[in-house]
Amino acid sequence: MIRRLAALSRKELRQLFASPIAYVVLTVYVALTGIYFFQHLVSYNQLLFVYQSEGMTGGGFDQGTVPSRINVLNEVFVPSAEDFGLFLLVVLPLVTMRVFAEERANGTDELLLTSGLRPYEVALAKHGVTYAFVLLLLLGSAIYPAVVVLRAGLGMEHLVALVIGQLFYGCAIASLGLACSAFTSSQIVAAVLGYAIPFVLLDFAWLSNTVSEGVAAVLREVALLSHYGSFARGVIELRNVVYFAGVVALGWLASVASLELNRAR
Amino acid sequence: MSAKIEAQRVSKRFGSIVALDALSLEVAAGEVFGIIGPNGAGKTTFLRILTGYWLASDGDVRVDGLSVTHQRFAVQARLGYACEQPKLYSDHRVDAFLRLMGALRGLSGARLRGAIEVAVDRMGLEPVMRRRIGVLSKGFRQRVALAQAILHEPPLLVVDEPTVGLDPAQQIELRRIIAGFRGQHTVILCTHQLHEAEVVCDRVALLDRGQLAALATADEIRAGGSLEALFLAKVGTHSGLAS
Amino acid sequence: MAFLPAAGVVMILVGVASYYATRSLHGMSAFSAANVAIGLVLLVIGAVAQARRFRGFSGAESRRVVLRWTAILVGALVLVVGLDVWARVMTARIDLTVDRMYTLSDESLLLCKELEKKGGPPVELVFFEDALLAKDVRLLVDAYDDTCPGVKVRDASRREPPQAARDIYTTTATTVIACRGEVCDPVGYPSERNITTAVARFTREHAIRVYFTIGHGEIDLASESETGFSGIASLLRDQGFDPQAFVGPAASEVPADADLVVVAAPERDLMPEELAVLDAYLTRGGRLLVLADAGQRSSFYSEFLPRWGFTLDDAVVLDRASSPLLQDPKPVNLIVHTFAPLNPVTRNLSARTMLLLPRARPVELARKPAPDDKLERAAFASQRAWVSRDVAAALAGKDVEPPDAKDSQQISIVATGLYPRGNGEEDTSHQARIVVIGNRDFASNRLLEALYNRDLFLNAVRWLANDEQRIAITDKAWTPVQDPLTLQTTVAYFYFLAFALPEALLLLGIFAWWRQQT
Repeated sequence: MIRRLAALSRKELRQLFASPIAYVVLTVYVALTGIYFFQHLVSYNQLLFVYQSEGMTGGGFDQGTVPSRINVLNEVFVPSAEDFGLFLLVVLPLVTMRVFAEERANGTDELLLTSGLRPYEVALAKHGVTYAFVLLLLLGSAIYPAVVVLRAGLGMEHLVALVIGQLFYGCAIASLGLACSAFTSSQIVAAVLGYAIPFVLLDFAWLSNTVSEGVAAVLREVALLSHYGSFARGVIELRNVVYFAGVVALGWLASVASLELNRAR
Repeated sequence: MSAKIEAQRVSKRFGSIVALDALSLEVAAGEVFGIIGPNGAGKTTFLRILTGYWLASDGDVRVDGLSVTHQRFAVQARLGYACEQPKLYSDHRVDAFLRLMGALRGLSGARLRGAIEVAVDRMGLEPVMRRRIGVLSKGFRQRVALAQAILHEPPLLVVDEPTVGLDPAQQIELRRIIAGFRGQHTVILCTHQLHEAEVVCDRVALLDRGQLAALATADEIRAGGSLEALFLAKVGTHSGLAS
Repeated sequence: MAFLPAAGVVMILVGVASYYATRSLHGMSAFSAANVAIGLVLLVIGAVAQARRFRGFSGAESRRVVLRWTAILVGALVLVVGLDVWARVMTARIDLTVDRMYTLSDESLLLCKELEKKGGPPVELVFFEDALLAKDVRLLVDAYDDTCPGVKVRDASRREPPQAARDIYTTTATTVIACRGEVCDPVGYPSERNITTAVARFTREHAIRVYFTIGHGEIDLASESETGFSGIASLLRDQGFDPQAFVGPAASEVPADADLVVVAAPERDLMPEELAVLDAYLTRGGRLLVLADAGQRSSFYSEFLPRWGFTLDDAVVLDRASSPLLQDPKPVNLIVHTFAPLNPVTRNLSARTMLLLPRARPVELARKPAPDDKLERAAFASQRAWVSRDVAAALAGKDVEPPDAKDSQQISIVATGLYPRGNGEEDTSHQARIVVIGNRDFASNRLLEALYNRDLFLNAVRWLANDEQRIAITDKAWTPVQDPLTLQTTVAYFYFLAFALPEALLLLGIFAWWRQQT
């Protein structure tokens, strides 16, 4: 099984990087994250300048010229991490839309599924390569928080927590997109559903005023963003890891189910 | 080594549409067995059920006693499939594609290299090994499809319309290759080309509206005149052709 | 009809997106709501229509496959939900922040144990999710919920605060309010220190009464000026103490309900009768905190303290390496960072947690009143410091040189005394305690929050009040960098991050695509 998975994964990687989409997605993501990181940095600089200019006019020992909550963690690192999460949602469906749908449209799924491969192996390889691409995206943009970590003394562990959180979050979005791709042969439909489902699951704030408090609490537990924030602040919580692992597993299972149900039609 | 096939009352329905209706047939080991019929007769449907890509609504197909419905992976390990209008990875080079398919079939190392060499030799693919599949002619694409199907020396070879769109010379060459499989593999050849079935196959099954309309050996066909005459006799009345 | 589901999805997306785009202006607009509602309807109609046209899954085996996979998916969903619930209950987390900002300190955990042991209704932390600082402190507040059985977190909204907290909330813009039953206390800035202090207030059965002597020029607890001491009065009340005035000349004894007495920098003599009252108080196991600045003279320093083993020279401690930040002459602004590691008042202070004590006077030990008494020096000036008896000159900023020959012993600024008067050291009810701090200015409004001055004061008070387990919780030591970047650095970052890197990736992509085509 390992050899088959390795061969399939190599095939998926080759196909992924044979298409310009992968490079465009990488470029767009790295550029977007760079620009927004820079914007946060500039705003933070300006804020510091304003506070410190006012502080200099007071004499003597002035404790906390700049309030301690105005710091590079709260003003640059965490907001950037939140932006990066949103950008993942923007770019990942462009990658996941073709993974299953293209095979089905080209008929090459017939080639794979009649060669003795188990559907779960096919799904595993496709999911695995997509998650590896997510990691590549994150490493490409990790340079921004790494810069902050080095300058601000936040500690590399904090950066590790952020990257782990982004990886879980990105894999969850990718998994949902892959499940959508598995149920259709149209890349457009896969892309639209790949955007719609994670977007609706992102944060149920738009529903919170119309439902009861109990239902709102349940929706909060289901929302993607409510499980992402703690990673940016350097804390890895078991419930968030379990949540994202659960979404990834369900997405993979749905992909396998699609391949099996397609056979049973 | 070749495989024996038994199809027992195989049916396939898509809602109210009956694509296959209680089809039963047997294919002996080492035989080149042809399946012909008009469009929508159920040929490709049958092949997809045989290869495990689709699930039969009723009935079952057995390959060397193994049930396609319940033991499809074991069946798939024993067959090679070259499907209609070959579905290949256009962005792969021929050598990379064959390495991929060989690996998916569980081959590795020296065994894989040897298998690729044999398949390339049999299919005459040496001149195009380092070319991208997407830029190959139809003929070579068909050969690549066949090459990947025989990499693992399967007892059963399933070939769906291999000569569609090829020029006469390519058709002749491909028929020669398929006929050469006789004895080493059981071949199920699905084709629209009546002459091809007549020349290559040991037996031919005529499907019509999901059912087995006729089954004849090569000798019986020649004794009866031609396959075309048989086709017209069985199918022509409803297809609008004069019998 | 196939168009309907697609249209439904698009309308729902537009509705949700328009909500997010405008939610800071108002909640769900009519446009957003209409799109979501109509989109849902279209989606349902389209899905039903598609389902009716569906031709698949004919045959017993197909239906078995469908049932099997439906059961697998439902089972997986149930398993995932169950794991999620279990994970919430487990509340396990790994805090990878520097200084573990979101993990409760030992002091907070100790308080939690105390709360659990005492029982009673839980302390509720009302957490306003839409407050300005809410996102920053959610994790810290959750840490209380997860690790403190006697503390529960209740989420609330600024728009509808809970009844008990309503009065407080209208006057204080705060993120967390601590409540027990109908009684609520604001937390102020939601740091661990403040939250734990607020919770601690609910664990006291009664307030610890602290009497401050007055009438001899002591500190003014009511003064809110920079040199006033209203800050320590507020601090004591925050911590659950009850500061009161003790008029020495009018009293025949220290009140029976006194948990401790503070003699804060008297500038005039105390009468012999007053000193006798204090003697009697200490003899029966009283607790005394003494603050004394350089340049102050009183019988309290010259007669009373030596009886209890302390010598306060009329001198000032100087150090060339002192703080330049105050307006006083530099050598008198003592920075203290050397502490007795086992002394209960200073054991949680270290070289990283410094004190600023301007115009400090040396506090040295004299003869012990009784053999079992324990006197200890607790905080020291640096090795380079020296003592000057020309206090006026030093305080006036006249150049005072260190002596040629300097005593090798470090100069002590804080000292403690423990006097078992009952049944030995374990009998704390009859155990007198004294803390002498050779400075009062560190506790002024100006300097109480400077460095770790607050901690010294609280540590001393807590030890004297038998509350040493709650020795002050220091805020986590990590101080976030607040240096701005230079313009050149910022621009360099921008060009590399937002342009050079993406450009390189795009060129790589073009090369790969070209290779693919040829």
